[in-house]
Amino acid sequence: MRMRSTKHGVPPSLSRACLSVLSLVACGMWLALAQEDTAAKPQLPQLPKVARPPAAQPQVGLATDAHLNKTPPRETKGLDLVKLGWTYNCMECHKLLKQPRWHYDRPMVEHQDVKLQHGNNRFCLNCHHPTNRNAFVDYDGSEIQEADVVLLCAKCHGTTYRDWQAGVHGRQNGYWNKEMGESTKLRCIQCHDPHHPAFQPMKPLPPLRYPPRAAGGSARSSGESGTHP
Amino acid sequence: MSDAPKNIVSPQTIEQVYKPMNRRTFLKGTAGAMVGMAGLVAALKPLLALEKGEISLDDLLQKHYRQLSPEDLQRIMTMLEKRCEKQYGVRPTIQDLKPMDGVQFGYALNLTRCVGCRKCAHACLAENNQSRDYDDDLSMSYIRVLEMNKGAINLETSTAYYDPELVPQKDKYYMPVQCHQCKDSPCTKVCPVQATWQEKDGIVVVDYNWCIGCRYCMAACPYDARRFNYQKPTIKPEAINRNQDYLSNRIRPKGVVEKCTFCLQRTRAGKYPACLEVCPTGARVFGNVLDPNSEINYILNNKRVYILKEDVGTLPRFYYYFDV
Ligand code: HEC
Ligand code: HEC
Ligand code: HEC
Ligand code: HEC
Repeated sequence: MRMRSTKHGVPPSLSRACLSVLSLVACGMWLALAQEDTAAKPQLPQLPKVARPPAAQPQVGLATDAHLNKTPPRETKGLDLVKLGWTYNCMECHKLLKQPRWHYDRPMVEHQDVKLQHGNNRFCLNCHHPTNRNAFVDYDGSEIQEADVVLLCAKCHGTTYRDWQAGVHGRQNGYWNKEMGESTKLRCIQCHDPHHPAFQPMKPLPPLRYPPRAAGGSARSSGESGTHP
Repeated sequence: MSDAPKNIVSPQTIEQVYKPMNRRTFLKGTAGAMVGMAGLVAALKPLLALEKGEISLDDLLQKHYRQLSPEDLQRIMTMLEKRCEKQYGVRPTIQDLKPMDGVQFGYALNLTRCVGCRKCAHACLAENNQSRDYDDDLSMSYIRVLEMNKGAINLETSTAYYDPELVPQKDKYYMPVQCHQCKDSPCTKVCPVQATWQEKDGIVVVDYNWCIGCRYCMAACPYDARRFNYQKPTIKPEAINRNQDYLSNRIRPKGVVEKCTFCLQRTRAGKYPACLEVCPTGARVFGNVLDPNSEINYILNNKRVYILKEDVGTLPRFYYYFDV
């Protein structure tokens, strides 16, 4: 067996990790492709190492506003899969899986970390494209590119999408006055995880200490309380 | 405080008070003199500050903001920049952005979205150079986030001191309160020296060099939107935002009132206010009410907004709404 990555001088530990990945994948493939796979058993599929593509996120807000923390609530993952330190493009595996499946009557062997809690939206292929996993699917079966993921959500959340377009659902950053400068909108998945979209609770920033300064100032850390009128 | 004292008791008047010298009038006279002297001392206190170099003669003789010629204002702003560099170690750029034509600001806040994370209140500090005793000192922030019990809009059972592990908490909702920039603003009416007024675009501003620190405006405000500088503002050099405006976020002198200006140093340059920029939920909507296509008008046209304490009748430019 020959692996492409050894060309780049990968240490043995890594290639061992790689091996285990391959066997894992093979296992999955075997289950999924049950019949076809039996003959081709010794020839494991070769998976080139792919760099994780930079998250397709537009810049949030203005560069001059470094003093304001505009980090979106959620970091998007993008359409690639990291397993045991390796990055796979969706199609690396899925080109081998001929038949997309709508329904599983057993636990899936792959993607077990994806627990879909999206209300009545219970099918992976409501969103993911059946033949091109690097894209999402529109109602008419055409592809929605990853960068246009908002259109995917718009399929089912029309009213919210309308608000989003008007700039009142989700967040706009930059210029309110469109003649004076650009504004950016956060995309849906920068706030909602598509697989369990309910907005996640977060830790609040430190509160006002009691009592506030005007009331006598024991909130002062310096200890010189009550010196002012 | 740094404003020119108007009725200094002249030595002559004091002399007149205790001219005919009998015991009775003597006593009366000394009492009068004492009061007079006290008044004199108080009135001359700025001179002491002048002596110490905390303020300059210019400060004492400065006119009201609206009577300043552009050259005078430019000179004053340069002077303030220099002083800030001397006292805080950072040289800001202070500008004087004027209201834009055809613009009146409006702000709406979606209470269904808000989770009470306080990012807005802290961003307010980062933007507006408020005095801080420690890094996270929210006491001078223009925004108070109130935790409210579901079921009513009852400010009396609300608290600003909540600190759970995670927000939002069950059975609670959160209401950030800041200056509502009222059209019929009580705070500007009560000011005895007209140091605070409403500008053409609806923003209520304070001329910190004209404010005498009487705090009438704070008492008049139904929304607890004003803060007072009891002490000389303390702020770390690295925390200072250099983009400053004369009427907004320049570092304030001691003894003056300050307030939210919808970040006019940003919004008059076309940008969103700082509190909106950081809101993780997108609960805040800001824009020009006179522009029919603005986001704020979308809210006013399509959502059912309400006004906090509408009954006090101050006609705020700040709206709350619930939205599924
Ligand atoms: C609501 C539409 C939707 C449904 C339903 C959905 N996904 Fe996704 N999925 C997405 C989106 C959008 C992304 C991109 C996420 C990102 O960029 O953070 C994604 C990313 C992924 C990823 C790669 C990122 C990761 O989380 O590891 C995998 C794997 C995945 N989906 C598998 C599934 C499986 C399996 C199902 C069915 C159980 C499913 N998805 C159902 C929308 C959906
Ligand atoms: C490591 C190989 C591998 C990679 C990489 C991979 N998948 Fe899969 N995926 C599988 C296997 C195997 C199945 C079938 C699981 C089964 O039969 O139990 C599957 C099933 C799915 C399904 C369920 C629907 C169906 O057709 O069976 C979705 C949706 C899916 N993958 C999406 C993705 C997306 C999106 C990506 C890219 C982020 C991705 N996958 C990357 C191996 C992979
Ligand atoms: C195939 C239709 C469909 C698509 C596509 C879809 N959703 Fe949903 N979404 C639903 C359904 C159905 C519900 C459940 C509504 C309910 O329970 O009342 C829901 C609920 C939600 C909720 C509310 C969850 C909660 O618990 O409050 C959010 C947020 C959400 N979706 C976001 C998204 C985002 C973001 C996307 C795009 C990545 C998306 N949806 C794509 C059908 C869809
Ligand atoms: C800035 C973050 C943000 C962005 C961007 C965002 N949302 Fe939301 N969304 C929220 C919050 C916060 C809630 C309220 C959640 C709650 O009440 O638990 C919400 C609620 C929802 C709901 C539940 C129904 C409701 O209105 O309460 C849906 C559906 C939804 N969003 C869909 C979308 C879609 C579709 C997009 C993209 C077009 C999107 N969201 C973009 C923050 C965001």
